Amino acid sequence: MKNYLKLVNFEFNRVAKLFVVLLGITFVVQMLGVFFEAKKYLDMANQQIYEEMVPKAQFLQMYGQMSFMEVVRSAWFLAPIALCVAGVAFYIFLIWYRDWVGKNTFIYRLLMLPTTRLNIFYAKITTILVMTFGLVAFQIILLPIEKWIFNGMIPIEFRNDMGLIEVVTSMPELSLIIPNSLLQLVLYYGAGLLAVSILFTGILLERSFKWKGIFAGLLYGAIAVVVFISPLLLQDFVLDGFFYPIELFMIEIVMGLILLVASIWLSGFLLKKKITV
Amino acid sequence: MIEVKEIEKKYGRKKILKGVSFTANKGEITCLIGLNGVGKTTILNAIMALTPINKGQILIDGEPLKEKTFEKITFIPDAITMLPQMKIAEAMEFMKDFYTCWNQDRATELLGFFRLNKDDRISSLSKGNTAKVNLLLGLALDVDYVLMDEPFSGIDMFSREEIANVFTSHLIENRGVIITTHEIGDIEHLIDKVVLIDNGLVTKEFNAEEARENEGKSVIDVMREVYIG
Amino acid sequence: MNVKLNNRDPVYLQIVRYFKEKIAIGEFEPGEEIPSRRELANRMKINPNTAQRAYKEMEEQGLIYTEKNHPSKITTDKMTLGMVREELLVEAVDTFVTSVRSINVPVDELLDLVKEKYTGNDDKEA
Repeated sequence: MKNYLKLVNFEFNRVAKLFVVLLGITFVVQMLGVFFEAKKYLDMANQQIYEEMVPKAQFLQMYGQMSFMEVVRSAWFLAPIALCVAGVAFYIFLIWYRDWVGKNTFIYRLLMLPTTRLNIFYAKITTILVMTFGLVAFQIILLPIEKWIFNGMIPIEFRNDMGLIEVVTSMPELSLIIPNSLLQLVLYYGAGLLAVSILFTGILLERSFKWKGIFAGLLYGAIAVVVFISPLLLQDFVLDGFFYPIELFMIEIVMGLILLVASIWLSGFLLKKKITV
Repeated sequence: MIEVKEIEKKYGRKKILKGVSFTANKGEITCLIGLNGVGKTTILNAIMALTPINKGQILIDGEPLKEKTFEKITFIPDAITMLPQMKIAEAMEFMKDFYTCWNQDRATELLGFFRLNKDDRISSLSKGNTAKVNLLLGLALDVDYVLMDEPFSGIDMFSREEIANVFTSHLIENRGVIITTHEIGDIEHLIDKVVLIDNGLVTKEFNAEEARENEGKSVIDVMREVYIG
Repeated sequence: MNVKLNNRDPVYLQIVRYFKEKIAIGEFEPGEEIPSRRELANRMKINPNTAQRAYKEMEEQGLIYTEKNHPSKITTDKMTLGMVREELLVEAVDTFVTSVRSINVPVDELLDLVKEKYTGNDDKEA
């Protein structure tokens, strides 16, 4: 356990730079987004009202009020999120390959630590989780600040005030990363964890068997997906709606857990018996 | 004692090791000699469970390797096993964190012995100094067995001398050491036991001093006999 | 302490011989402390096991002795010391005789030549 925590700390420090860069980009770009989106609206309002002499009421009727939603829907806001998602996805692979590739032979050290090799797996997956939660938490902190700046820029009569929760829930992209119930959180992130563990297993298959391993990894991924959705397929095509939705839901959860355990077991086996430096 | 028993290893269809057996005792320096590419490094990797073997068995003090065995045996590969962006001090800290057998006094002594500066970043070191840091990290562990892969290759003359000094010092005393080399030259007087490897097999295993005493042959004489016939 | 080791003779015997030579010419005096095994290994660039073996051999031959918790010392036994000198001498003469015998020279002629060369060399060195 102690070694696991030390490894997590170590792995996180290794990704800290990338993490901070992602946070920085998100912060800067989203702030610029708030500013430019608000300014765009203000410029338009100024032009219409003071140059074209459109009465305020008529302007509001023509163009509507500005809502924070428009900022959130803009590329300014979503691009950094996409970048962070891509960054994490990329790092899922890099977190393993960086120990092998090039002149770096750090994998020797990791595999020679006097601790179970599964701790390496756990530490790396935890790092990915921590990184993801960190980015999400940062976004959650950032949102009210952005809203506050937005409110400061747009006078109240031009503003369609929406609650932040309303904003998040009305955006499917956002509600995926910021779930609005505990159950959703567990489900979304549980599914994410499962996906990462399957990817890790695939990577370890590749690291153990090289070219054949890539094939085995893809096969393992495909099997995992089929196993995971098989209850749904059975329900629809064979059993003709035999299960209640809640039953099906429970079955899916059990399937997910089985796949998670299988991936961890297989990864443990590969790390112990098949991995090669 | 490290016992390597009939190990076989294939890379694809190519058999790299075809049933290699030998033993290495505690308190002795055992040298695996063979040309480049005969599988010496693979043998060391196999002992440390860093690569799977297809057949055979490896025992360390009579037991197969477990996670706790890494407190008893260490491996110094020919490339540094720490992140290049780390400072020497940070690399030492990492070792101290994970190994209960880390000996801080010895590590400090080794820093002096090799004249290294602990605030230097690993990536900024010369080849010779990088090799010395690598050695330091392995030798500062209070382990019974030390494996070293080509500790002398590609290193400047003075670093070689300093590294050779390690073998005549208390840093090695009472430990079991396995080193690989493709040229015996400067270490002929340092080693106890020679294991000649060619074409995936052990062609001869002998005690260097015994060969001199009983047959009046140097290690190179024996090698010449084995390779040229 | 510097000695060129050859690769064909057992290293421990080369060390023993080195000590004998130093004793014979008086560079190591009776009762003098000698370096520890580790120190010797380090200075001679040999394996500590070999140094250990050389010391064991010398102890068996009575060339050195070790009291508990003290460094080893050169023997003070006159007879052993005398024998070392004699042994080296006999060994050298033996080698000489073996190689010279093949030339088949009368002993007197040989002795004269030896005398001439040996003292001549002495003069040069002095």
